[in-house]
Amino acid sequence: MMRTVEVLLVIILLGAAYVATSSFIALPSPSTVSPVDLNQLAYTTLQELDSRYDLSSAAFQTNNLTAWGDLQIALAASLPANMVYNLTVYNVNTASNGAPLYSSVASISNAANLASTDASSYLEASSNVTYISTPQQISTNGVPITLYILDCSDTAGWWITGYTPSSLAQTVYSLLSPYFKTTVMVQNTNQLNQLLNGKPIEGESLKNAIIVNTNGEAVPIPSQFNSTNPLGFNSTYNSYSKYDYTLGKLTQFYNWTWVSIVGYPFYYVTNTGFLNNVQNGFGIYGISKSGNVATQDTGAPGLYAFLEGLDNQPYVYNTNSIAGTPQTGSTVYLSNQAQSLCNYYGLYPSYYQTSTRALPTSITGTYHLAVTTYLFNTTFGQPPQSTYNPGAVYRHLSGTNYEGGFLALGMTRIPDIRLTALGILCDYQPARYGSLYTAAGSNRLVVLQLGTVGGR
Amino acid sequence: MSGVSIDHLISIVVLFFAVLLFIGLFNQTLSSAVNYQRNTSTAKACGDLLDTMLLTPGIPTAGTPIAFGLQDTALTQYQLDPFSVMRLDSSLAAPISYQKTGLTYSNITASPHNYLLYPYTDMINYSTALTLLGINGTYGFQLSLIPTVNIFIAQVSASPLSLSLNVIGTGFPLAYAKVNCLLIPVLLNTNYPDFETIAHQTETNETNSVGSTSITFSNFYPNPNLTYAVVAYAYLDGITGIGYYEPSPVGNQSIVPFLDPLSTQNVTLAHSDDVPNTSTSANTLYYNTTFILESQNYAIQETSLGSSNPSGSVTSGPGNPPTSISMGSYTPGILVIAYDNSGNSGVVMMPWGFSSLGFSMIFGGTPLNHGWVATDLRQVQINGVSYQVKLSLWSEKGYQESG
Repeated sequence: MMRTVEVLLVIILLGAAYVATSSFIALPSPSTVSPVDLNQLAYTTLQELDSRYDLSSAAFQTNNLTAWGDLQIALAASLPANMVYNLTVYNVNTASNGAPLYSSVASISNAANLASTDASSYLEASSNVTYISTPQQISTNGVPITLYILDCSDTAGWWITGYTPSSLAQTVYSLLSPYFKTTVMVQNTNQLNQLLNGKPIEGESLKNAIIVNTNGEAVPIPSQFNSTNPLGFNSTYNSYSKYDYTLGKLTQFYNWTWVSIVGYPFYYVTNTGFLNNVQNGFGIYGISKSGNVATQDTGAPGLYAFLEGLDNQPYVYNTNSIAGTPQTGSTVYLSNQAQSLCNYYGLYPSYYQTSTRALPTSITGTYHLAVTTYLFNTTFGQPPQSTYNPGAVYRHLSGTNYEGGFLALGMTRIPDIRLTALGILCDYQPARYGSLYTAAGSNRLVVLQLGTVGGR
Repeated sequence: MSGVSIDHLISIVVLFFAVLLFIGLFNQTLSSAVNYQRNTSTAKACGDLLDTMLLTPGIPTAGTPIAFGLQDTALTQYQLDPFSVMRLDSSLAAPISYQKTGLTYSNITASPHNYLLYPYTDMINYSTALTLLGINGTYGFQLSLIPTVNIFIAQVSASPLSLSLNVIGTGFPLAYAKVNCLLIPVLLNTNYPDFETIAHQTETNETNSVGSTSITFSNFYPNPNLTYAVVAYAYLDGITGIGYYEPSPVGNQSIVPFLDPLSTQNVTLAHSDDVPNTSTSANTLYYNTTFILESQNYAIQETSLGSSNPSGSVTSGPGNPPTSISMGSYTPGILVIAYDNSGNSGVVMMPWGFSSLGFSMIFGGTPLNHGWVATDLRQVQINGVSYQVKLSLWSEKGYQESG
C-alpha cells in the first residue's frame, strides 16, 4: 500500500512539474512568431513619401493643413487596410549640455491607441543642409521659349555611332525639358515640315525657339523639300544644300537657335522615304551629302548655304571644306565659363574632348556672327594659319539685335550629348532656385509608428 | 507477503504508465517550442531575403546573373530596376507559345490588349533564383509586386471624349491626387494607322474626396476612323500610380508584341491568327508605332520609337515571317501599336520596363501545402511608380507547426 501511495506522490510531483513547466513555457501567438517587419515597412513607407521631397516639405510646414491632409491621404492609401499608424514630427534642438532635445510638433494618426507596434524614424533636414532647386524656365524678353527636339522616325543618323536619334532625343529631353515651359519632340519629317511652314505642332510658340538636331551630321529633310521644290533642291548643282539655305533663312526669320550636336554641321540631309534609294557613299541609305546628290562628292555646301541663309546673303554653291582640325592632336578644352557652370547644372562631361570639325573664327566676319558662348577654348588649326572654335554659340547680328543662332559642336564622333545640354545652358544660363524651408530648427525627426488591427 | 507483492506490482505498472504519459506531454511542449523557434527563424530569414533581393544590384539585361537582385544601382535603396524585373518568370498567367519563333513566353498580360510576353529562354526562373540566393533545398518563396495605386479608366462620353478615372490606393482611395492624362489619337483611314497630334492632348486634373475625377478632351471626337489610347499618371506626396485605357478593338485579328531577349532591344510583332500555331490563311494588318515616356516632373510625352521601321505590316500564315522593331534604348516607357485592315483595328500597348503600365507580377513557387509561411512587406518604387513587394517564405525541410 505504501508503494502505491509513493507512486501516486511521484505522479502528483510529475503533474506539478508539467503544470509548472507549461506555465513558464508561454508559447507566443503565431503573429508574434512570424510578424510582418513593421519597422522596415515603416521605413520604406517614409522613404517613398519623401521620394519627391513632399515629406520634407510637410515636416517643415506643420501649419499647412493642405500639405498635412495630402500626407495623411498618401499614407493611408499606401498602407494595407488593416494597418494603423501614427506619424509624429519632432523638432530637434540641442540642450545646453549638447544633448538632443526632441519636442513634438505635429502628429497624425488613424487610431486612438497603438499599444503594440513598431516604429521607424526619418530625419528630415531643412534648407540649412538640404538644397532642392527648381530650374528657371528659359525665356527671351520674358516670354518662355520652346525647345524642339528632332526625333524624326523617318530619318537616319550619321556620326552618332552607337546611338539612335531617338535615344539621343530622349536624353536631351530628360536633361533639358525642366528648363523649358514647352518641349516638343518632332516625331517625323511631316511635323518638321509643319514647323518650317510656321505652324505650331501643339499650339506652342515658334518664335525664339531652340531646335536640337539629334541626327548628328545629317539634317532631317521633309519630302516636301524634294528635288521638285526650289526651296529644297538646287537643280543647277543637283544639290539639297538649298534646303539648308532655307533652314538658315527660317532660323533668322524666327530667331531660332539651331543646334548641331556633333561633327560637320549640315553635311548630309536625311529622309528614309523619298531618299530611300540614295546612299551617302558609306552604304547608308536614306542619307545624301548636301553636295551633288548623284556623285556624293562632298557635303560642304550645306553649312555655307545655312550661313548664307542666316545672313540673308544670296545662295552660293561652295564645295570648299570649311571645318578644320585644331592643333595639338585635336584635343580641345572646355572654357573656364563652361567648366564653372558644370557644377551649377550638374553636368560633368570630360573637360577635354576630340575635335576634328571645328569652325574657323573667320565665319563671324563673313556672316556677321557674334559668339555669345565659348563652350570650348579657341584654338589654332593644323597648320596654325587660322583660329578655330571647336564648340560655340553664334548669334547673327542684325544691327545691334540678334536674329537667329547656331550652336555648333565640332566634336569627333561619338557625341557626348551632355555637351549639347551644357552649351544651351551656358548660353541662356537659367537660374536654379533653391526652395527654402521656414522652420526655425534645422532638423526634424519624423517617426512613423505602425501596428496591425487586432494586435500583432 | 502476497499483498506486498501485489502492491509493488500495481505501483510499478502505474508508475510506468504515468512516466509514459508525462514523457508524451513534455515532448509535445518541447516540440511546440522547437517548431515555433524554427518558424521564428523562417520569419527572420524572410525579412533578410526580401532585403537581399531589393538591395542587391539588379539582374543584368543579358546572361545569367551572379546574384539575385532587383535594385536600380543608379538610384537610392528600395528603388528597383524596371528591366531586371522583366526577366523574372511570372506565374500570374499561363505561358504562350508562338510557333513562328519556336519559343514559349512568360505571360504578364494584364488585359486582352496590353501585353508583356518574355521568352522563357532568357528568363530567370525560380530554380535559378533559389540557387543564386543560396536557399535551394532550404526555403521556398513567392515574390509578388503589386502596384500601390491603381487607376481605373472608363469612357463616359465620345462627343467629345470624356473619361472617368478612379484612383485607388492599397488601403484607401487616393483623394485630391494630381492626375496627368495623355491622349494618343489614332487615325485609321490611312494606308497605315497614323498617330495624330492635336492641341490640348494632355490634360491635368485632381481627384475628389473619394479618388474620382473625370477628364474631357474637348476637341477630340472618336469615331470608327479615329480611335485612341489614354495613359494617366496619378501622384500625391511621392505615391505614384499609372493607368491606361483603349477602346475595345474591332474584329478578331490583332497584333501581339513578343519581347525578344532584353539585350537585343527588339520586339517581335505577331499576327494574332498565328498565336500559338501558324494560321493556314494569309491575313495582313498594317501597323504604326509610337513611344510614351514620363519625365521626372510627371509629364507624359509622346515620342517616336526611333526604329527604322516604326510602321509596316504583319501577315499571318506560313511563309510570312513576323516583323521585328527596335526599341533603340533602355529608356523605360510604353510601346503603343495601332493596327488596321479589313475591319480589324485597334490599339495595343506594351510596357518597355516593367512598371510602365503598372502591371503586377508573381514570381516563385506556390505557398500552398507548405505549413508555416512567413510573409514580409516593403514599399518600393520602380521607375517612379509605387509598388508593394511581398515575400512569402516557407521551409522546405518538412517541419511544420504542431498542435
